[in-house]
Amino acid sequence: MTPAAVPDDLQPVERGYRHALMAQAAVFWLVVLVGAIVLDRFVLAGSWAAGLVPLIVAFFAFGGVVIGPGRIYRRLGYALDDRLIRIVRGWLFHVDTVVPFVRVQHIDVTRGPFDKLFGTASLIVHTAGTHNSVVTLPGLAPQRASAIRDLIRAQIRADSE
Amino acid sequence: MNEATPAVQSERGERLHPLFLLTGLGKVIKGAWGIVAGGAYLAFQGRLGLALLLLVGFVVLSIASLLIRWLTFEYRLEDDQLRVEQGLLNRSSRSIPFDRVTDVDIEQGPVHRLFGLARVRMETGASATSKDAEGLLDTIALDRARAIRDFVRARRGRQPIPATAVETEEVDTPAPLFAMDLRRVLVAGVFNFSLAIIAALFGASQTIGEVIGFDPFSRSFWLGLLASAGPLRDYVLAHRFVAAIGGTLVLLAIGVGTGLVRTLLREYGFRLDRTGTGFRRRRGLLTLTDVTIPARRVQASILATGPVKRAFGWFVFKLQSLATDGGQGSHVVAPLARQDEAAAIQQSLDRPLLPDPGLWRPYPRGHFLSGAVLSGIGIAVALAASALLTPLALLAAAGLALAALVKWLEWRRSRYALDNDYLFLDRGWWRQRLAVVPVTRIQSLDIVENGWTRLFGFVRMRFGVPGGSMLSAFSIDALSRDDATALRERLVTP
Repeated sequence: MTPAAVPDDLQPVERGYRHALMAQAAVFWLVVLVGAIVLDRFVLAGSWAAGLVPLIVAFFAFGGVVIGPGRIYRRLGYALDDRLIRIVRGWLFHVDTVVPFVRVQHIDVTRGPFDKLFGTASLIVHTAGTHNSVVTLPGLAPQRASAIRDLIRAQIRADSE
Repeated sequence: MNEATPAVQSERGERLHPLFLLTGLGKVIKGAWGIVAGGAYLAFQGRLGLALLLLVGFVVLSIASLLIRWLTFEYRLEDDQLRVEQGLLNRSSRSIPFDRVTDVDIEQGPVHRLFGLARVRMETGASATSKDAEGLLDTIALDRARAIRDFVRARRGRQPIPATAVETEEVDTPAPLFAMDLRRVLVAGVFNFSLAIIAALFGASQTIGEVIGFDPFSRSFWLGLLASAGPLRDYVLAHRFVAAIGGTLVLLAIGVGTGLVRTLLREYGFRLDRTGTGFRRRRGLLTLTDVTIPARRVQASILATGPVKRAFGWFVFKLQSLATDGGQGSHVVAPLARQDEAAAIQQSLDRPLLPDPGLWRPYPRGHFLSGAVLSGIGIAVALAASALLTPLALLAAAGLALAALVKWLEWRRSRYALDNDYLFLDRGWWRQRLAVVPVTRIQSLDIVENGWTRLFGFVRMRFGVPGGSMLSAFSIDALSRDDATALRERLVTP
């Protein structure tokens, strides 16, 4: 029996990714919360619903900032071998993607502002498929992302020779 | 060539030509119609000062944004790849291996031509739908652009697939691979009758029919039409439902007629030939089209039909290719064919149309149950509502029951098979599609599940295949997790 064709030793991404997600969620929910408070003060003041909207928003913000990122982080894993990359993410909406290196068309490494703050980067792999042609692996250390990129590139080179 | 190449390679990152500030302006202005309109409005209102302020602010901002784009954009030509670094806040570094570049385009706009500049675009065959152009160097000197193109072409590992392999072989093969006579075209037209047009006409006749004098559902329409025919007229007067039946018949006739005319115009004289490199398709009554489909670019084959068509033994056969066919994802190579005719076309590609019958695998029962349970809950709610609120809710219950029935039919018909190097995906009941995908054309594999499907113990498997439209995703909608992992193992094993 040949060894498993699809690697199953999933590795976690950088811990900083969780913090980046938290910061991102915090900024988003802060804006929503301010909006809700403004709405509450100027529109709903005095009505039976006074104070209700900010409370609900605060509840979801707590979930989105404190609980959510940890879960997303814990459920995200990737595995590599010398032929393909596998990315597993999510629980309620679980997606398990495999991309053979020889199918990759080009590769991006991107860093947004939050990535820079927390020392992470995203690897984005483009395939020729129409459906699901852009596969993203966030939360890698920048050197790791570059290393994976070089690995994939070497494979593409080997494939075409 | 060889003495030129070392000079082409970049030692360090290069910027675009400074005149990018000028050539980029056109795009910015094009995207600023809102600003222009706002300015014009303000100017007409007599608030020139404000309009000027808006204009100046816009110009300053757009120049600043162009400047930032120019300052942060860097490309580097390496031995075997193009590296593009861009972005201020969202910094992205792209790597395009030359082995994946299918073609290098050089484009010139008017400003480019004035200053001897060019826009270079590397095509890699990655999804054409993705918004950000893949390897776009917006403004560089024309000489440099040509040097880059030659460099990339020389460096490319293997021969490219020509973008337009138009070897119009004037000498036709004696017999066409597939052709349709007039009778077949007309039959195809009947199947093509358009429900959409019927629905639209029905809507129109009910809303504006009174005004334009066309409402086949009203009695006055028929009374006017039959004014001369006495007994029929009395009959219509006496029976209200006759008008309704008449109206339905008229709309049906229009729907079928539209389908017939459209099909006749498009498919008349349909003829498919096998040429040395691919297929050549000619069709059309008023607009003759002559399309070449290179065989190497064919990704997957799709045999589509519906319950009615299948009852008469008809199928539509399509080839999904990297190129698109007038907005459609795939090329129709047989608008109405018997299964063996489709098999013959598929055979000419050296591909099978059907797997070994013993290899078909059904979808697990959970696929049907997951839908049926949802419908069941809905029906229960609707029944409760009909008892408590309004009997109209019974209609909703009936609709949900129908949905469950369709789900059952779909589940019963859906299946998949892996036979040697080909994956066969057969699914659907109303839109039956049998897709034949060569394993080597699969770009990526997803195993997907969510909270609901997890309850029923199945997962969904999606395949990334080049070409086609977003709507025509290739997938196995339900299979057990173990089967999915086993299938994936087999698909990625070279």
